[in-house]
Amino acid sequence: MMNKISLILTAVVLIITTTTNKSFAQLNGAQIMQKVYDLPTGDDTQGELTMTLVNKQGEQRVRKLKQYIKNEGDIEKKIMFFTSPADVRGTSFMNWSYNSGQDDDQWIYLPALKRTKRISSGSKSDYFMGSDFTYDDLGDRHPDEDNHKLLREEMVNEKACYVVESTPKDEDYMYSKTITWIMKDNFIGLKREFHDEDGNLLKTLTIHKYEKINGFWTILKTEMNNVQKNHKTIMEFSNVKVNQGIPASKFTERSMTMGQ
Amino acid sequence: MKNKIKFVLILMLIINQLNAQENVPVNGYVRNYTGVLTKEPNNFSIIQNTFDVNFEKRSDKIAFKFNPYVHHYTDKKLEIGLREAYLDMYFKNFDIRVGKQQIIWGKAEGVFITDVVSPKDLREFLLPDFDEIRTGITSIKLNYFKGSHTFEVVWAPVFTPTQMPDDNSIWAPEMDFPVVPTWDYSKAEISPNLENSEVFARYSFMGSSFDFEIVGGYFHYDDPAMHLTKQIDPATMQLSGLTVRPEYHRVTMGGGSFSVPVGDWVFRGEGAHYSGRYFQTENPEVADAAIEKDNLHYMGGLDYTLGGVKLSVQFIQEYILDYEEGIYNDEMENTMTFLAKKDFFREKLWIELFSYIGLNNEDALIRPKLTYDFADGFEIQGGANIFLGDKGRFGQYDENDMVYMKLKYSF
Repeated sequence: MMNKISLILTAVVLIITTTTNKSFAQLNGAQIMQKVYDLPTGDDTQGELTMTLVNKQGEQRVRKLKQYIKNEGDIEKKIMFFTSPADVRGTSFMNWSYNSGQDDDQWIYLPALKRTKRISSGSKSDYFMGSDFTYDDLGDRHPDEDNHKLLREEMVNEKACYVVESTPKDEDYMYSKTITWIMKDNFIGLKREFHDEDGNLLKTLTIHKYEKINGFWTILKTEMNNVQKNHKTIMEFSNVKVNQGIPASKFTERSMTMGQ
Repeated sequence: MKNKIKFVLILMLIINQLNAQENVPVNGYVRNYTGVLTKEPNNFSIIQNTFDVNFEKRSDKIAFKFNPYVHHYTDKKLEIGLREAYLDMYFKNFDIRVGKQQIIWGKAEGVFITDVVSPKDLREFLLPDFDEIRTGITSIKLNYFKGSHTFEVVWAPVFTPTQMPDDNSIWAPEMDFPVVPTWDYSKAEISPNLENSEVFARYSFMGSSFDFEIVGGYFHYDDPAMHLTKQIDPATMQLSGLTVRPEYHRVTMGGGSFSVPVGDWVFRGEGAHYSGRYFQTENPEVADAAIEKDNLHYMGGLDYTLGGVKLSVQFIQEYILDYEEGIYNDEMENTMTFLAKKDFFREKLWIELFSYIGLNNEDALIRPKLTYDFADGFEIQGGANIFLGDKGRFGQYDENDMVYMKLKYSF
């Protein structure tokens, strides 16, 4: 009797294992992008961001800010405090992003005006602080907003990657398609190409450095290269801390006006 | 002059010491601002060199800010002032700020409806940057925070009026008197005592989908009412003399403002009811030719971004309640503002057009402006201030059309 039970259990385990392996092997584009979206990020993250803007002449402009992000279930709250250059020091920007699909809430505090102003979140195609990243590029685009197709699997920097093409369901979206290289072992995007409305390659995003911090994969250095304008932006995160318990009061008008 | 130079030298010494020994962060700017009138003989309307320095240090529980500035003019005395100087104490749910501070309220831009706490510096009309138009007020401010709710109370022991241009300034407002008046400043001062102190309160909410404020104040209106005493020649029964007595009156103000995003639009609104204001009247039965009337002041505005151009339009109305014939002001005064702003070359170049349009007098102030970031922290700005019309708030300065340039280095 015991042998029969062992046999049945072994068979069940084999079936489950085989099925599971098969399901991974047969992941489609949408499933891959959902896994990327679902990557655990921790309840909160904080760090310092340095953005280096490089034009086609090689001239550099540097912007620095402190950033705090907190996931409050259905809302992701982000606040940024600009520290450099001198003429934007003290400016803060706050964004509340909703899982429900509700439009983001955004505010900006300008120290010269001493007033927190609500701004429209509609301009997601605007470039963030003159960089090559649009506000949308910096956000967490939900996979349901695009149709996804697994194009192929290939090696990038000795990493096995899925290559997924994502086409927006909204025809007015600023990109006609994006192609993303996603590492098979951890579902971190390693590279992404953005194509303009005419289908031509516009920008390339490359991840240069990522680490596990406090058990969560965290991207530490990225580069966005606008190949049409020959302009690039390098984003480097430092002093990154995950799950330090950022208080809810960090994401309020009080915090914006204090600049910290 | 020697004393002022000494003050500046001492200031430089303090900067050096604080920065070196106390590790107090120092920032600020140096700016040259040169404006020339377009009307011949093309007088310079302003040549101003500014040094504005800001010391600010903060810990978890306390902070201070000290922000003096120096304006140097070619045709006026050196001006040394204090934009802000205050101390902060931070507690778990509330903050206290004591000292000279700028306090800004409301959602309107370029107009002052519920934004009544900080007095205005109108010595160059509405042309300076808004952070320079609003001056600091010595006060105690207490903020209590509960989630997205903020309760604020301000007590100002001393009244600070609007700073008006000198009589010989090109920005001195037009005052149309039938004879050359005699000025009586006997009531133009508010004694600094407890009874004359001012109090303001605000509740604000900033949350998902909308923000709003409810405000109130019991204070002296920042602009004086002109009380007139006429002298009549008994022989001819003609006006032989006129005495003008500026007087600041206490008013009670209640109002609020809101800001709501709808799709790609942001709707803004702000309104206030004033009780206790005085308006000039021609009614001979009114003593001093100044009559007390309540009034409403409100605005509605829209912000929208179209093709990367930030657009904003506001409609503002001032309405005198229980209006009577003879009052100089119109029963309703309508103004609009319009803003269009766009950046080019990755925020290196900004082009902006801001306009006030007075609908009652068909006058306007058109302000095109171009700002170029020559290097990080160093901007070059060129622009024009064009006044249209021949009367009204803007038309009265029709002769003052000007072009200007500002060079500013922020550190």
